[in-house]
Amino acid sequence: MGKIKVASVWCEGCSGCHMSFLDMDERLVELINKGLEINATPITDLKIPDEGTDIGIIEGAVATDHHEEEVKMMRERCKIIVALGDCAVFGGIPTMRNYIPREELLERGYITTESTVDGKIPTSPEIGKHLPKTKAVNEVIKVDLYVPGCPPSADAIYYVLKEVLEGRIPKLEGELLKYE
Amino acid sequence: MENIKIKVNGNEVEVSPGKTVLQVLKDLGIHVPVLCHYEPLMPQGSCRLCVVEDRGVLKTACTTPVEPNMDIKTDTPNVINSRKLVLQLLFSERNHYCMYCEVTGECELQDLGYEFGLDHFEFPTYERRFPVDNTHDFIMMDHNRCVLCRRCVRVCSEVAGHFVLGEMERGIDTMIIADMDVPLGNSSCVSCGLCAQVCPTGAIIDKRSSYLGREVQSEIIYSNCDMCPVGCGMEIYKKQGANFIVKIYGDWNSDVSHGLLCKVGRYLSLYDEKDRVVGIKLKDDFGYRRLHEDNLIEIFKNKLNNAVAYVDGSLFNEEIEMIKEIFKDKVYSLYPNNSPIPTNINLSELDNKEFYVVINADLNREYGAVGSIVKRNVIGKKAKLMVIDKEFNSLAKIADYVFNIKDPNLAMDILKKQKEVVVIYKDITEEEKNLLSSLNNAKFLHLPKETNSIGLQKYDIKHEKVEAENVFIFGKNLEGIKDLPIQNSFVVVFTPYEDEVLRRADLIVGITNGFEREGSFYNLEGKKLKKEKVLKPDFDVLDLKSFLSTVLGKTEKVF
Repeated sequence: MGKIKVASVWCEGCSGCHMSFLDMDERLVELINKGLEINATPITDLKIPDEGTDIGIIEGAVATDHHEEEVKMMRERCKIIVALGDCAVFGGIPTMRNYIPREELLERGYITTESTVDGKIPTSPEIGKHLPKTKAVNEVIKVDLYVPGCPPSADAIYYVLKEVLEGRIPKLEGELLKYE
Repeated sequence: MENIKIKVNGNEVEVSPGKTVLQVLKDLGIHVPVLCHYEPLMPQGSCRLCVVEDRGVLKTACTTPVEPNMDIKTDTPNVINSRKLVLQLLFSERNHYCMYCEVTGECELQDLGYEFGLDHFEFPTYERRFPVDNTHDFIMMDHNRCVLCRRCVRVCSEVAGHFVLGEMERGIDTMIIADMDVPLGNSSCVSCGLCAQVCPTGAIIDKRSSYLGREVQSEIIYSNCDMCPVGCGMEIYKKQGANFIVKIYGDWNSDVSHGLLCKVGRYLSLYDEKDRVVGIKLKDDFGYRRLHEDNLIEIFKNKLNNAVAYVDGSLFNEEIEMIKEIFKDKVYSLYPNNSPIPTNINLSELDNKEFYVVINADLNREYGAVGSIVKRNVIGKKAKLMVIDKEFNSLAKIADYVFNIKDPNLAMDILKKQKEVVVIYKDITEEEKNLLSSLNNAKFLHLPKETNSIGLQKYDIKHEKVEAENVFIFGKNLEGIKDLPIQNSFVVVFTPYEDEVLRRADLIVGITNGFEREGSFYNLEGKKLKKEKVLKPDFDVLDLKSFLSTVLGKTEKVF
């Protein structure tokens, strides 16, 4: 069996899904022995996945123009895109802001909070600009596999990666399919 | 009628006509997903999750009656895909993201998502923002969670008879509203809470029980409400391993209330905020001092000579029996408990009558379950209602006849002309009693003042005021002490609540109350009902039943 390259990216999320990924513990070693190769991820601190990466895992919703670029790049460079966790799958907690106008929200967050003195909305180009609406990943690019859960259990992630490694399309059911 | 033959998934079955396809499939053990359907309510077939295929056509199983030559298929790709599409649309229309929601883990929509393996939303969601109505004391309505199944609307009218909830606009713009689109807290809602009980999602939730725990983490205890003499059946959800109640639901299988419960039983019984009497207090020259339980039995026995006992209707049968055993015939009730005209109709027969007469009771505020039965027949089935009351009665606005109690003759003329009338009355005078008794087309339902008034009647305990050296008083409502001739007596009071009149007592004993005690009582129909013990008392209080049996030497220890 050949190597299977995995890259992951962390958009508008809490990193809980990556924690859950690491929570596979020794099973991660088992997957690596079976041919899993971890490429650009927040864990390895590499930003750009290699061309022709097999699996691209996306954590978090698409909330800023940076996220939009990142997930589009993942789509270009990866064969299979996995939306990992509720934010990537459904939009999740970050979509709470969708009901409040962007400007009002930034003003409340950076200027009018009771504890803020001389607040200012950051404008640095290094920081992504909020899109009008936070979106689930499948509203921006095509997604091949969905793993909901907040976060999905290590068992669910292990099951999905193992199935892909063994050349099958995983189908989450029962205890592995959770929205919370 | 003769049975008819239909085919279900290729197998021929014989079914009785008049059933719906859903009932037939259920009898056959075939699982059909439902969302808007709820057993005690009229089916309406709006969610379309129960669709089945009959000779190539999709039909809602819950509303389609069986007919000859049907060829029902429940698992064709057409059926499954249609159900999946409906579910995707339901999830996408409003905000059904589980992590925000109070009912996640026991939501019927979420369960359906898991059942169909729905792992993402296929359509754009979170497009619109809906209001959250938090104006009500006990119930919160979050329209973002609503799937428009209208269970709440149906239960509010068909079962509870209040006709408060309704809907406005059409299609995806439909909103569930109270009255003429006023906030729920300002509406004519009487807080029976049935809407929150039947809501399949987190759209209508009980504020107090929120985040206290799931049904799977609870122990369910079936009991009867002892807050009034109706005695509705309750499903009490007690958190496993903890000493608190998560929530109370009406028990659909109760043969008293058939699912009904009112504000008092569902909510107020959980919000008991009165000051409790803690411990045992004996009066001496310096005021009250705490007494140990062991000394209580001694004093109690010493004072039994030349003693009388007064009881109220909050006592259970077992307690009354033992008090009678101790005090023999020297037991009196604090309040009158007789029924002027004996009750000759029970609650199950109260439905589908043509003419109701309600005398001196505002059924929106008290005896809520009786009120629901009357209202669902008067508003929903166009039965006639006559209200006779000397004070304001909120039923008057739906009544056909409203009379002041001063002039009963005109009312009597109308009643005599009816085929059958049901008279539901609370307090009536001797004169009115004679007038009403003369009706030969009437059934009577007396609404006793206290929970176990009928029990006191059965044990033949009369309302009398007797002087004695030692006076023992047992009960919750102590108002009647003021009228007792106890100036020169040694007064012992067993009661759960602190009260002004307790200053008159020489010995005060705090007893268990509400969900801390168990026992049986007779409800207004004369049915013997059981109240279960659910909680351990939080205070240092004595259980009256155990204490009395210790005095009688039936059990060894008080606690």
